[in-house]
Amino acid sequence: MIEFSNYDIIRNLIFAAQWTVLLSLVAFIGGTLVALALTALRLTRNSILQKLVAVYIELFQGTPLLMQMFLCFFGVSLLGYEISAWSAAILALTLFTSAFLVEIWRGCIDTLPKGQWEASRCLGMSFLQILRHIILPQALRVAIAPTVGFSVQVVKGTALASVIGFVELTKAGTMLNNATFEPFKVFAMVAVIYFLLCYPLSLSSKILEKKFNVSR
Amino acid sequence: MKRLTQLLSKTLIVASSVAAAMTTMTAGADVLQDIQDRKEIRIAVPQDFPPFGSVGPDLKPQGIDVDMANYIADQLDVDLKIVPVTSANRIPYLQTKKVDLVISSLGKNPEREKAIDFTTPYAPFFLGVFGENSVDVTKMTDLAGKTVGVTRGSVEDLELEKYAPKSLNVRRFEDNNTTLTAYLTGQVKLIATGNLVATEIAKRQPQRAPETKFLLKDSPCYIGLAEGEAALQSKINGIISTALENGTLNDISMKWLKAPLPKGFGA
Amino acid sequence: MLYFGDLLPYSDVFFGGLITTVELTVLTTFLGIALGTLCAVLRQYGGATPRRIVASYVELIRNTPFIVQLFFIFFGLPAIGVMLTPWQASVIALTINLGAYSTEIIRAGLGSIPKGQVEAAKVLGMTFRQTLTRVIFVPAFEKIYPALTSQCIIVMLGSAVISQISVEELTYAANLVQSRNFRAFESYLVTALLYLGLAMMMRYVFKLIGKRLFSFRESS
Repeated sequence: MIEFSNYDIIRNLIFAAQWTVLLSLVAFIGGTLVALALTALRLTRNSILQKLVAVYIELFQGTPLLMQMFLCFFGVSLLGYEISAWSAAILALTLFTSAFLVEIWRGCIDTLPKGQWEASRCLGMSFLQILRHIILPQALRVAIAPTVGFSVQVVKGTALASVIGFVELTKAGTMLNNATFEPFKVFAMVAVIYFLLCYPLSLSSKILEKKFNVSR
Repeated sequence: MKRLTQLLSKTLIVASSVAAAMTTMTAGADVLQDIQDRKEIRIAVPQDFPPFGSVGPDLKPQGIDVDMANYIADQLDVDLKIVPVTSANRIPYLQTKKVDLVISSLGKNPEREKAIDFTTPYAPFFLGVFGENSVDVTKMTDLAGKTVGVTRGSVEDLELEKYAPKSLNVRRFEDNNTTLTAYLTGQVKLIATGNLVATEIAKRQPQRAPETKFLLKDSPCYIGLAEGEAALQSKINGIISTALENGTLNDISMKWLKAPLPKGFGA
Repeated sequence: MLYFGDLLPYSDVFFGGLITTVELTVLTTFLGIALGTLCAVLRQYGGATPRRIVASYVELIRNTPFIVQLFFIFFGLPAIGVMLTPWQASVIALTINLGAYSTEIIRAGLGSIPKGQVEAAKVLGMTFRQTLTRVIFVPAFEKIYPALTSQCIIVMLGSAVISQISVEELTYAANLVQSRNFRAFESYLVTALLYLGLAMMMRYVFKLIGKRLFSFRESS
């Protein structure tokens, strides 16, 4: 058989981890954009739009990410579009991320006293003006810590892209395990790399939370 | 029971008419033409199934199926795009047109023939039950009450479902990687798989070398393609029979299996 | 293009998978919350060493993917002589996972109890255990109950991953059916809806239990 040194294993895992990072970044950015749009829809006082957003959240928070991956992968093709494992994973992770971010941000906006909306309206500000000058600056401060915290879930979520065949960190782990047959070592290394990716995010989320709590 | 069979047959009739409708719908598309226009053929290969397809230290697939894919791309004079797949998802890949061909040690069975088309065989393969020396099994009925690991959706999975005693506990795994790992880690003491896979395990882990318990089925490997692609099918069949005549298939067999093709193969 | 009739012959496969998912969820929800409560108490009131151990456990689990934890337990541990059945490995992995998240949630609840309340209990001559169960737990859990509910649902949905080590739960059923009738989209869609139903039902059941547990508040 072909010999794999520890160096080979680590080198391959780190190479694959780059895909994990890229997938996480794209999905997080995509999720943020979709979540922004959905939050805007929710803030309009149109009850139909609000209902639709609620259904969206229920749908993507109420089903397993793994199922969403499968459905994006095999479902989009049935609609007649070709989709690679990479695009399917991004699509599924974007939907998943946005559903959670909308909910997180709603909590942040709801912490702001209702009186602010009313007062601003009395001052003759338009909906967009209130949003831009009053609500967003405050909400952003509150939202940043839980948003960074959620990014950890996105990084971990990318592990499920392995199941639809995208070669990222976890998939590389199972492949290397099969070639080396050292499951203990390989999966421990995989776990360590994920930890190194996620822990700084968790930590900064905590620090941010403390910082903004104190300043309030 | 009778009602169930009726329901089943009704379901099948509806399903086949839907399938027929789909075939006529897609009959206009000619994959062979697409391949030539695109100057690229997309072929699904395994990356967890030595010696057909497994990864080297650079994580690139290599093996019989990969060599076969290269040969076909050469003969068609187009670029090759390798798409690594698992046994569970290789047929959906074909159905959803993510690939043009599946060269993935694919065995033929009636269920699959309903979903996709096949070319002539390109490599020999035998399925069997293999396992630790300590387990005393020599025939199908001995499997009663035992646990066997198998890759979901594979021919061996379907064979066991059909013929094994009901008390057999079948543990199905997502892909061959996981099935092999389950055997190598001792999570299962018996596995149903191909003879060549068992040989490969023996090479990698001599202390866990599986013993052949009994053979399930002679199941040579075919190339799979989407239904109704007659032009592509006859083109690939032509390439395979040339490869058989000019000794290419035999060379591939010598390279990966260290043995010539069985006498009368492909006849 | 879509045709769901091919799923009918497999309805008992789906049903069996659904039952297994429910069983696993009920079992691991109890075990996970119990583990989380224990760790939260250690983290909040324990000595320096237990605190540090609990903190490392929580960080380790929260910062690695569940599927990697599962593979490590099922495939990695046999290398050091710990052999677990797929079912055992899943129960352990799910419990450890829920345990870590619920530790953080419950600890937040414990931290929200005013110090004066705990001291008052001490002055009244209550032991630590009495203080915990009678003074601290009920208001602490009431406060974090919605967050705990959501986390339990997240873990239930995450259990889809254990199909990868051959536990015959709902996702396994979907995979099995699609490998038999090649109707991938249909079988995953039906399964996704079953999960959605399960999630909604869990929220409802938690609400009912919550009403009973914290009913004294409403009557007062």
